[in-house]
Amino acid sequence: MNMKDFIKDLDFSRKSSTVVFLIAILVLIGAFIWWLNIPFIEDIFTNGTIMLIMVLGFQLFMGNSGILNWSYVGYVGIGAFASAIFSMTPALKALQIPTMYPFLISLHLPFPLALIAGALVAMIVAALVAWPLMRLSDSVGAITQFALLIVINVLLSQWSQVTNGPRTFTLGGTRLTSFWLVLGVAVLVIILVYCYKESSLGLKLRATRDDRYAARSSGINFVAVRYVAYVASAGIGGLAGGLYSHYILSITAASFYLNELFLLLSMLVIGGSMSVSGAFFGTLLVTLLRQGLRQVELFLYKTGFEASGSAEIVVAIILIAFLIWRPNGITGGRELTWQSIKRMLPIASEKKDPISNNLKKEEKA
Amino acid sequence: MSNITENAPILQVTDLYVAYGPILALHGISLEVHKGELVSICGVNGAGKSTVLKAIAGVLKPRSGSIRFKGKDVTGWKPEQLHKHGMALVPEGREIFPSLTVEENLRLGAFGRYQARRFAEDLEDFFTLFPILKERYHQAGGLLSGGEQQMLAIARGLISHPDLLMMDEPSLGLSPNRVDQIFELIMELKSRGITILLVEQNAQRALEIADRAYLFSNGRVEYAGRPQDMAGKVDITSVYLGGQKGGDVE
Amino acid sequence: MNAQIFFEFAINVLSMGSLYALIALGLVFVFGICKLINFAYGEFITVGAYVLYFLGVFTSLPWPLVFLIGILSSVAVGYLSELVAFRPFRGRSLDALLVTSFAVSVILQRLFQLGISPRSKAVPVPAFFNMNIELFGLTTPLRNLLIIAITVVLLLILTVIMKYTVLGVAMRGASENFVTARLMGVPANLVISVAFIISGFLAGVVAIFWTARTGSAEPLMGMSPLLIGFIAVVIGGMHSLPGAVVGGYVYALIANILSLTLPTSLLSFRDAVMFAIVIAFLVLKPEGLLRGNYQEERVG
Repeated sequence: MNMKDFIKDLDFSRKSSTVVFLIAILVLIGAFIWWLNIPFIEDIFTNGTIMLIMVLGFQLFMGNSGILNWSYVGYVGIGAFASAIFSMTPALKALQIPTMYPFLISLHLPFPLALIAGALVAMIVAALVAWPLMRLSDSVGAITQFALLIVINVLLSQWSQVTNGPRTFTLGGTRLTSFWLVLGVAVLVIILVYCYKESSLGLKLRATRDDRYAARSSGINFVAVRYVAYVASAGIGGLAGGLYSHYILSITAASFYLNELFLLLSMLVIGGSMSVSGAFFGTLLVTLLRQGLRQVELFLYKTGFEASGSAEIVVAIILIAFLIWRPNGITGGRELTWQSIKRMLPIASEKKDPISNNLKKEEKA
Repeated sequence: MSNITENAPILQVTDLYVAYGPILALHGISLEVHKGELVSICGVNGAGKSTVLKAIAGVLKPRSGSIRFKGKDVTGWKPEQLHKHGMALVPEGREIFPSLTVEENLRLGAFGRYQARRFAEDLEDFFTLFPILKERYHQAGGLLSGGEQQMLAIARGLISHPDLLMMDEPSLGLSPNRVDQIFELIMELKSRGITILLVEQNAQRALEIADRAYLFSNGRVEYAGRPQDMAGKVDITSVYLGGQKGGDVE
Repeated sequence: MNAQIFFEFAINVLSMGSLYALIALGLVFVFGICKLINFAYGEFITVGAYVLYFLGVFTSLPWPLVFLIGILSSVAVGYLSELVAFRPFRGRSLDALLVTSFAVSVILQRLFQLGISPRSKAVPVPAFFNMNIELFGLTTPLRNLLIIAITVVLLLILTVIMKYTVLGVAMRGASENFVTARLMGVPANLVISVAFIISGFLAGVVAIFWTARTGSAEPLMGMSPLLIGFIAVVIGGMHSLPGAVVGGYVYALIANILSLTLPTSLLSFRDAVMFAIVIAFLVLKPEGLLRGNYQEERVG
């Protein structure tokens, strides 16, 4: 492919501008919050950005394949525990989790490598179990993924020699996940997830989502295509899990179960699961909403009302409303591009009716 | 139904557009069926024959156009409402309920207009029309052969005493003598005065028995009129070619 | 004393299996018609349990009436959730339905936490439930025998309804081929509502015997029966009502055997083993132990 084709393929106004916009929005918000220098808001931003990485990894498989991937949050958990086991010093592990297998206690890697190792462990687990599951679609597929989540959860919550079992796993030491690290990783993941979606692999996976049989008859091996995305998605989830555990510093298996999954699912569906922009804006919107509601809960609590948990009710109702009236989310399953922004701006209205223009273009093509 | 005059068609479809997602399958179909008529719809695969039946029966929602049945505008009605109003569709591929017995299949066919006494009387009648059903009365529908299933599907359509019986490819995938049986049966139903709208791949047979016929092509009506007048007006070989190709799904 | 151990094992399997069979039936009724694994099903049971708690603690109504009202509340929640949350999804994607049922489940759980209490409440149980019965030389609480008897009766009633009433035939037809059933005049809304009502009814019955065993009601209690039903339904093949019943008993059998044979250190992994079995079933034998309604078509 020569340079000219390459640039043409990037197609800034209709395609690659998405990445630029999403990163710009994220970095601008981050820089502003850094400038504000209020720990409470920095904390919300860091947490939200870790969630964003999780949702992006979630989108990579679920959004492109159309398979409800319940097991995803399990890989987040695997990455969280695995990276913590790698990063903690043997002395600290012997102190915090005395039940742990000796060979795990002796492992030690510097933090950045531990993060990557955690993601790799998640990918390896996914790679080992996923192949036979990728054949399954529709309700059987969703049920299998759900069953897998429960298997992972039982292992995480009961395997005392690895995860400290049902007890809290405390990492000890200092908070290794920093504001800028999370931001940097998020930027990389946005690029990665977007490039995947636009790559030929991503295109094939989307084809299987839209019409499994047609995709198959045109020679796409949908099991292989799904498999690659599933493992990659588990890797991003594992990475996000590692960032999470080194930020929160104490985790239990329950942190990676249905409540967390529900949150990820709400963010992705409300944003629009079929696009990277959907994952981005869904996370942004739900994070803002939950923080706002949490303030209301706190206020009510001060005035004597116990209202904790009402945020989830509101999110759940909004989720159902979206599923009924706007099943493709706020983005409608489309990406935010330079073209879509031009369409929204009234200045650009000289081209009168962009939708019909588009249609004409398509007809010509 | 006093507002129906003698000449008004029992079914009148006007300028019907139906789409599967973004793909338009019917481009403004108009057709009508009068009481007591046997009307055939012919055409090659993908011409929109099955689609029009599904739209009339309420399974597919038309994008625009109207459907009048027994003097009422029934556009957008649900399948169960239309059934109650006197429409029955014998679906393509028979769609027998495989684990239900023949009896249960028939009982279900009468669901919308079920009357125990009439059901018992009809059974007697059906057993003479379809002797095989009597033999297999307590067997699961899935165990019947293709031809037997087709008999059952037609009986299941008839048992609600429809004012309009629509049949979608009743001869599809059957052996030649089974096909003969099915067409004899359709003739018998016609002689009993039942109004029939028939969609068939086997154009030759369908045109032989029809009072009037529609020839579909690419979601449009190519020809409408008496079968015997068709010869000079359209390229008849294309119609018959449709009859040679069997078995594939539309 | 081998015989006694065997009888104890058998009674355990049969009483647990009966409860599990009812749980599985409640799930499969909705799954059969809507192809929806209803995540909110566990909460139908929770509602019944809380009503038993309220009536048992704050009123002196006779037990039969308490049970009846408990069952009716589960029915009401089942029907209402169908009406409000699931009906707008008629004809839409399965995933949307599944996510909605998940959301409904979250909403109900949070409402219990907010409106009642996050902590568990002791549910009173009629004394005769725990009365010990002497049978084949071993003693067992009456409730264990009661659940077996009630399950048998309910299965008989349901069989009669499904086999001999027009509505039952319509339900079975609709679960095999929904569109064709509608073409026969079976109203979509009717069969789906009835499926949810039966599902709610079974949840209400389950609530009685579940709380009799655990003695308490709490917001998240619906999860365990949901998972049990889920396993049993998969083992039974997902599409067939008899399959779900068999799945319930088979699950009780496997769970009891695992409890007896797994070393204590591994006992906490029992659920992982059960769900690994579920995955194996889905991958290798998706039609379950009994062949469901899917018979091969004979061409002739």
